[in-house]
Amino acid sequence: MLQLGAAFASPSKAQDVKILQLVLQLEYTQVAFYEQALRQAGLTGDLRHFARTALEHERQHLAAIRKALGAKAGAKPRFDFGQKTRSAPAFTQAAIQLEDIAVAGYNGQATNLTKGTLAAAAEIVSVEARHAAWVRAIAGQVAAPDPVDEPMTAKQAAQGLHEIGLRT
Amino acid sequence: MDSFEHSADFLTTVDRDGALAETRSHAERTLSRRRLFGMTLAGAGAITIARTAGAHAAAGLPASDVDILNYALVLEYLQASFYTEAERSGALTGKTAEAARIVGATERAHVKAFLKLLGSQAVKRPTFDFQGTTEQQRPFLKKAVAFEDLAVAAYKGQAPKLQANPVLAAAVGIHSVEARHAAWMRQLFGITPAVDAFDRPASRRSINRVVASTQFIVSRPKLTGRKKPEFTG
Repeated sequence: MLQLGAAFASPSKAQDVKILQLVLQLEYTQVAFYEQALRQAGLTGDLRHFARTALEHERQHLAAIRKALGAKAGAKPRFDFGQKTRSAPAFTQAAIQLEDIAVAGYNGQATNLTKGTLAAAAEIVSVEARHAAWVRAIAGQVAAPDPVDEPMTAKQAAQGLHEIGLRT
Repeated sequence: MDSFEHSADFLTTVDRDGALAETRSHAERTLSRRRLFGMTLAGAGAITIARTAGAHAAAGLPASDVDILNYALVLEYLQASFYTEAERSGALTGKTAEAARIVGATERAHVKAFLKLLGSQAVKRPTFDFQGTTEQQRPFLKKAVAFEDLAVAAYKGQAPKLQANPVLAAAVGIHSVEARHAAWMRQLFGITPAVDAFDRPASRRSINRVVASTQFIVSRPKLTGRKKPEFTG
């Protein structure tokens, strides 16, 4: 579990690092999830196209955040996705949940980030939101169910990632 | 004020959306969305500001935030009017009609929230002429994609400039919803919902240029709560 305090101070470079370490875990989880699903879930058609595209995006996000953190980037965590990457229906449900966590996790940190880092994070979060809507649309669900996306605290996002399969 | 601890039940909300999305009726979903919207803005403190400030709802906000909110309001007016007109035209069918109904309700909710937040400082709704694009499905979808991508870039360009944290928290929550809409409309139009790994922001100047080029705004918005600026000399 991530050691992120619930209380956040005013935005600072040091706090940006802590938050980037959280979103690094998020991007690591997404990359591992899509990689494993593409190997094991038997994805075809639209779902496969979605997974391949999302994986490519998450890899670029991961690279950007690792670069921003430099030596402060933690090691790659371990994962146990259980059955979530072993069938198309389980993958779909977990992908929706994971992309929603990504959106809510980034949104939840908006007021804690310095403006420069916020601008960079904003370029990522809307892509996560596009993924979330895309996979919902493929599944025949309402792609944008709420007028405003509820934010998640760092703790809630970390718990959500653990439920998906992040093991640190 | 801590605006990050108000949604303790969010994980279960995510689960519930996934499991129940197909069984809930539209009415129930609409009600649920409205409740969530109220909760979000209340949680973010925006509604609190509007209530405590009374008739001068925007009085407690920095002038630059009021300016950005009015800019966002015009984009929301544009979208809300577009979807409402498309829905009324009866030209949309199937999944596109359903999406337009849901997205339209959301854009109208955004307009309402901004009006409440801005109070007497809100700009009036401009008059729009969508030049027939709301009366045929393919032209409608093409414009919907353009509007939604534009809204994502516009919110992204302004978010780092917002000063008041409750306003910023609400704006980022709307920003990602516009991105969901963009992906949804793209999927319905038959193009890739997420093209690049990074969505780029757009400046107000470039957004204004795009909106002006459509000639959809036929009368310019005016401030409701202020006299017109007087030019002397």
